[in-house]
Amino acid sequence: MKSWKSKAASVALASLFTLTLSACGSSNDNNASNSPSVSPSANASESPSASASGNTSEPVTLTMLVSGAKAAEGEDFELETLPKLVKEKFPNVTLEVQKLPDEQYYTSVKAKLAASEGPDIFLVFPKLANMGAIEVAKAGYAADLSDLAFWKNVSPAAKNDMSYEGKPYAVAKGMDILGTYYNKALFDKAGITEIPKDWPSFLAASDKLKAAGITPIVMGDKDPWVIQFGMYQLAANSVYPADPEFDNKLQTGETSLTDSKWVKTVNQYAELYKNGYVNKGSLGMASAQAVQQFVDGKAAMIFTGTWDLPGLTAKGAAEFERGFFSLPGNDAGQPVYASAATAAGYALNANSKHLDVAKQIFEYLYDVQSPLFQAWSDSNPSISVFNGVTLKNEIFKDVLNEIQSTGHAFYFSNQMWPAGVSDVMQSKFAEIIGGKKTTAEDVTKAMQAKYSELNKG
Amino acid sequence: MNSAVMKKTMYFFVLPALLFYCLFWIVPILKLFQYSVTDYNGYVQKFSYVGLDNFTKLFHEEILGLSIRNTLIYTFITVVAGNLIALALAFLLNANIRAKGIYRSAFYIPTLFSAIVVGFIWSYVYMPDDGLIASIMNKIGITGLDTNFLGSYSKALYSIIAVDIWKNIGTSTIIFLAGLQTVPQDLIEAGKIDGAGRWKLVRFIKIPLLATSITINVTLSVINGLKAFDYPFIMTNGGPGTSTNTLIFTIYKMAFTDQQFGKASALGIISFALIIVITSVFVFTLNRREVAA
Repeated sequence: MKSWKSKAASVALASLFTLTLSACGSSNDNNASNSPSVSPSANASESPSASASGNTSEPVTLTMLVSGAKAAEGEDFELETLPKLVKEKFPNVTLEVQKLPDEQYYTSVKAKLAASEGPDIFLVFPKLANMGAIEVAKAGYAADLSDLAFWKNVSPAAKNDMSYEGKPYAVAKGMDILGTYYNKALFDKAGITEIPKDWPSFLAASDKLKAAGITPIVMGDKDPWVIQFGMYQLAANSVYPADPEFDNKLQTGETSLTDSKWVKTVNQYAELYKNGYVNKGSLGMASAQAVQQFVDGKAAMIFTGTWDLPGLTAKGAAEFERGFFSLPGNDAGQPVYASAATAAGYALNANSKHLDVAKQIFEYLYDVQSPLFQAWSDSNPSISVFNGVTLKNEIFKDVLNEIQSTGHAFYFSNQMWPAGVSDVMQSKFAEIIGGKKTTAEDVTKAMQAKYSELNKG
Repeated sequence: MNSAVMKKTMYFFVLPALLFYCLFWIVPILKLFQYSVTDYNGYVQKFSYVGLDNFTKLFHEEILGLSIRNTLIYTFITVVAGNLIALALAFLLNANIRAKGIYRSAFYIPTLFSAIVVGFIWSYVYMPDDGLIASIMNKIGITGLDTNFLGSYSKALYSIIAVDIWKNIGTSTIIFLAGLQTVPQDLIEAGKIDGAGRWKLVRFIKIPLLATSITINVTLSVINGLKAFDYPFIMTNGGPGTSTNTLIFTIYKMAFTDQQFGKASALGIISFALIIVITSVFVFTLNRREVAA
């Protein structure tokens, strides 16, 4: 009896052991498949079928994972139009698209990539952001796209922001601008005749609105990321013009986020709350609720980006004309700098079984002549980075012209930070909104602490 | 012992299940211990071992103390308030009142919704100025009170605790109600004959006989409170600031936003230990107090 028991125990132990071993083994495989030495053979075994699939009818299923919300009305480009038009051009290809809210997207795509179950096409953000091109390329998950033909039509800046060691890994959807949407009717009512061009005049305008009994700015700070929308516009004026290399110096440790320029930025943004220009109780309001307040004509301004245009031009309780300008964080006499950056874009999975087919789809999607490209740029609220595509949203014209003629624009600060720094900025700044004794110095100190912890050079 | 069914070889049939259990349950837990001493970021498979750095860092950061404090407040209030209200409701619903069935279902309905739906509905209820509570207070003429429930540092945590209690009260009430119905009628009659009033019947007969239900309910709500995640996640994003960060929420944010899987695993182990200690203390002390009918 005893011998039996020990036998059973040893069997159980042994099987557990092999399991652990095999678990380790599989993760070793993951490493191997990322390394270049293995991938050629993998490609070789597939390339015959893949190259043939262009004309034969061997069925191929590609998966695609992106973030965002489904279009409120009409056809959703990624969920409906794209698979349909791909099917028309490549009858043998079925594209299965899944769209997740941002937060879930990050979680899900990383888990899938780490388990070698990654989608064939996925969304990547510029530079160092969360799921940023640099990080994804470094980890070996994104495929090098330099051999594709359409790059000559893409603006170099957009290509560069999606590159790692000189090779592009994703195709940006366009350019996004952070700005201030405003209600022209309420501006008229408060007697504001021209768009504020510097910080003192912006404060004066907010004061006029407040005096007229209008909430100057509405923000949904319960979704803390919206704090970034105002902050980066101010940073584009108060941090980078004086030192365009600021973030590079930050990486080498030559400067830090506790620098007086960032303290000034945080103080500027805090001033809006302290003066009561932002709706009271913003910490209890979700961003969607804030957007609703704006379209209902209950507040004159809201800070957000070009991507929110559909929501902000939706029909609300009040009819009014919308405008868009860059939040002027500049001192009087200085030019206004805009906060503009490359938008997210699609990347291909380097370990995809059908990388060749996926590349063909990319060639088709980004071919300026193709009907798919047309549908893509029609549905896309970002400003196109492809040559010869005209701006379709008039509201952005002034800001865009300004950027194009003067070059006065800087990227969103978090694109050069490890993910996590902006979260600290938000939660510390929320303390200021909430009326705690936190100072701008405390905010920048916490940001720098997180930066040092996460930055691995 | 020698029957055909109980042959020792039968244990071999357990093996497949045991293998799956180990593979999908034990191995991941062991992995957690492994990750807790690394700088794994969640998806780049290359990582290095950093010893106890993660733990030391955690003990130096205010977020650990803050999330433990929030979690304990959360647990304490859900356990005490939740069970007292549920007990009171169970007594009411056990009484001979009209339309008992309707009331019983009414209190159970919130339990049937998913936490996501509940959290979403309540964020509108709590909305400052235009939310349900704010507008009702305006209608009946109470103004000047701060209605910014989720956006205030002092109120946000308690506001989400209230939602948790509201949602889970049904389950506890049902368990108490079932317990109350097993109280033997003859004991109550004997008590009445001995001259016990209504309060004494409750205090000396019903509550002692409910001890099993109390153990179950308290343990369940302790566990529920210690792993609180849904409402901070849906209703406040842990905010304002970090004022509604619970342990599990902090782990989630650390792992998926900061991409510090190693550090998050370390925090996971700390909370794992904490939860085990607290739960076992509860179970052992409560078990000893139970009496049999």
